[in-house]
Amino acid sequence: MIICSNCQHANVSGTLFCVECGAQLDGVETLTTQAITQDQITEELKKKQRPEPPSSPINSWISLHLMDSGKILPLASRNEFTLGRLSEGQPIMPDIDLTPYQAYASGVSRLHVVIKRESSRVLIMDLGSSNGTYLNGRRLNPHVEETLNHGDVVALGKLKIQVLLRNI
Amino acid sequence: MSPDQKDYYATLGITRDASQEDIKRAYFQAAQKLHPDKNTAAGETELFMGVQQAYEVLSNPKRRALYDATLPPQEKIDLPYRYNLIYSRPNLVHLDEPQMLYLIVELESPMEGRRTLSPPLNVCLVLDRSTSMKGEKMDVVKSTAIQVLRSLRPQDILSVVTFSDRAEVIIPAAYHQERTRLEARIQMIQPSGATEIYQGLEAGVKEVMRSIDSKRINHIILLTDGHTYGDEQLCLTLASKVAEHGIGISAMGIGQEWNDIFLDVLATRTGGSSTFISEPQEIKRLLLEKFNALAQTYADDITLELNSLEGVELSYGFRLQPDPAPVNLDDQPMHLGSILQDTSTRLIFEYIIQPKAVKSENLTFMDGTLNVTIAARPLPVPPLRMKLQRPVSNQPESDPPPKEVVQALSRLMLFRMQERARKEIDKGNIDLATRQLQTLAANLLSQGERSLAQTIMLEVDHLQNKNTLSAEGGKKINYGTRALFLASSNKKEFVS
Repeated sequence: MIICSNCQHANVSGTLFCVECGAQLDGVETLTTQAITQDQITEELKKKQRPEPPSSPINSWISLHLMDSGKILPLASRNEFTLGRLSEGQPIMPDIDLTPYQAYASGVSRLHVVIKRESSRVLIMDLGSSNGTYLNGRRLNPHVEETLNHGDVVALGKLKIQVLLRNI
Repeated sequence: MSPDQKDYYATLGITRDASQEDIKRAYFQAAQKLHPDKNTAAGETELFMGVQQAYEVLSNPKRRALYDATLPPQEKIDLPYRYNLIYSRPNLVHLDEPQMLYLIVELESPMEGRRTLSPPLNVCLVLDRSTSMKGEKMDVVKSTAIQVLRSLRPQDILSVVTFSDRAEVIIPAAYHQERTRLEARIQMIQPSGATEIYQGLEAGVKEVMRSIDSKRINHIILLTDGHTYGDEQLCLTLASKVAEHGIGISAMGIGQEWNDIFLDVLATRTGGSSTFISEPQEIKRLLLEKFNALAQTYADDITLELNSLEGVELSYGFRLQPDPAPVNLDDQPMHLGSILQDTSTRLIFEYIIQPKAVKSENLTFMDGTLNVTIAARPLPVPPLRMKLQRPVSNQPESDPPPKEVVQALSRLMLFRMQERARKEIDKGNIDLATRQLQTLAANLLSQGERSLAQTIMLEVDHLQNKNTLSAEGGKKINYGTRALFLASSNKKEFVS
C-alpha cells in the first residue's frame, strides 16, 4: 500500500501515479525535476522577444539596479509591475522575470513582490513570498504596502535590488 | 536439423507445442492463401507444396515425433518483426496485499520492413448521409471521397457505402478503371433521413468481405455526425465478428452530436480507433491521413490471446502510439491494431496481482500468444509465445521505474481521470465528477497544458449548472487528453 502524500488516498503497491489525484507517488522521482537550465530559459526569452519594458531611461519612472550583476532595468509604460521568476506550468506570470539574474538560487518566489506608482508615491508590497522581501534590511509584512524612496535597497530573498526613482 | 532441412513449424507459423487442432487450423489458413487456385505470385505454388509437406508430417503424431527428435533444442524463432518489453519494476514482492505491475510492449518493423512495398488496400468508406450532414460537411466528404478515389493505386480496392436509415452501395468493391463515372456517382449523394449506423456498417462489411484477403489491408472507415439509436448492440456484435476476420474499423465523428464513447468501443473492438473532427474543414486532412496510415501498414491485426491466470488481473490496456486508444479487453483474442512501417507500436498493460498468486520465486503474469498478419509475406508469421515472469523477492526494489513507463503513465493518468469522471456523470455522481475534473485541470496546468485545462474548467461550470458536460466538451476532453500522447511520442531513430 502506498499512501499518497498529496491526498492520502491508499494506492495499490506498485502504482506510480495516485489514482485519486494524479500526484506522482513517493519513490518515483524521475519526472519531478525537469532539466531546464538557465541558458535555455534565457534563450527562450530572447526568442520570444517578450515585450521588455522600454529600455529608454527617459520614459522610465523607476529603474531597478541589480546589485549582484550591476545591470540596470529601467521600467516604464505601466504603473504597476510584479516581480518574480518564470517557471513551467505557472498560471500567472510575473511582469518582470528575474530568472536571468540567479532568481532561483537567490530564493525569489514565482510571484514575489509588486511595485506600483500611486499619484506621487511609489509603493512596494510583498505578495506572500516564501523567503520574504526586505526593505533596507527590514523584513516587510506580506500584503502590506510600504513607501519606496530613491536609493532604497530591496532584497527578494537574497537577490538585492537598489531602487532608482525619477522625480514624478 | 541440418541447415537445408525445413522447419515445418515455421512453415506453418505455429509453435513447437501446438496441438493437433492448431496444426489443422494453421494449415487451412495457409492453404487458403497459397492454394494454386488462388495464388498469383511466382513461386507461391512451391510454398504451398512446402505447407502441404509440413502438414503431412506434423498431422501424423508418429511422424511428428520422429521429426521432433531431429530438431535442435531451443530453436530461436525468427520473427519478421522486433519486439521489446519494458517493466515498471524489476521484481515483485511477497506481500499480503494486491500489487501493481505495468508492462510496455513495443513492436516495430525490421529495417527491411521500411522498404517493403505498401500492401494493397481493401477499404470501404461508410458515409453518413443523414439530413444533418447537409451543407459544408457533405460537400467536404464528397470531395474528399473523390480525392481518395483518384489517389488509388491500380491494385487497391475501394468501395463506398452511404447510409441514413437505410444503406446504399454507391461504389461496389472492385478494381476501378472508369473513375470519372464513379466520381459522378459520389457527386450525386444527397443528404436525407436519420442516422442508423448499423445499416451502413452492415453494408460496408458486405463490401469488404467480398474481396477479403490476408494479402490486403482490409479496413472500414466510418464517417458520421450523429447519434444512432437502438442498434448500438448490433453494431458492437458486428464489430467483434469482423475483427475475427482481420477487418479493422476506424470511426470518425464530425461535430458535436455523435456518441464518442460508443464509436470508440466500436473501433477498439477491432483494434482501430476513433477520431474527433471538430470542424468540417478538418474532414479532408484527417481522412487522407487515415488513408496514408493504412497504406503505411507493415503488419496488420496484432492480436493477443491470453490464458487466464489465477490471482492475476489484466486491469487496463492502452495503445500509446500510433493512434492512442484504449485496448478493448473484453474480447479474446484482443485486437491491438497494426505496426506501421516507420513508427513503432507501443502498448501499455496494467496488472493487479493478488497475494494468492505470489507464492513461488517466480510469478507468471502473462501467458498468451501474440499474432500478427503481414500482408506482404507469403508464409504465415510464427506466433510469439508470451509467457512472461517476474521474480519475487522479499525486499521492494529501490531503483526508480524506467522513464518510458513513468512518461507513459503520467499521460495515461490524465486520460483515465476523464474516463472515470464521465462514468461518474453517467451514474449521476455530479459532485464526484466535478472534483475529478478539477483535479484533472490542475494536473494539466502543472504539465503546462493550459488551453485544455481551461476547456475543462468551462466544462466544470457547465456540469454544475446542467448536470452534464456540453456535447462538444466531453469530446474535446476525451480526444484532448489522447493528443497528449502524440506530443510526447518521439519518432525513434533506429540503430541496426
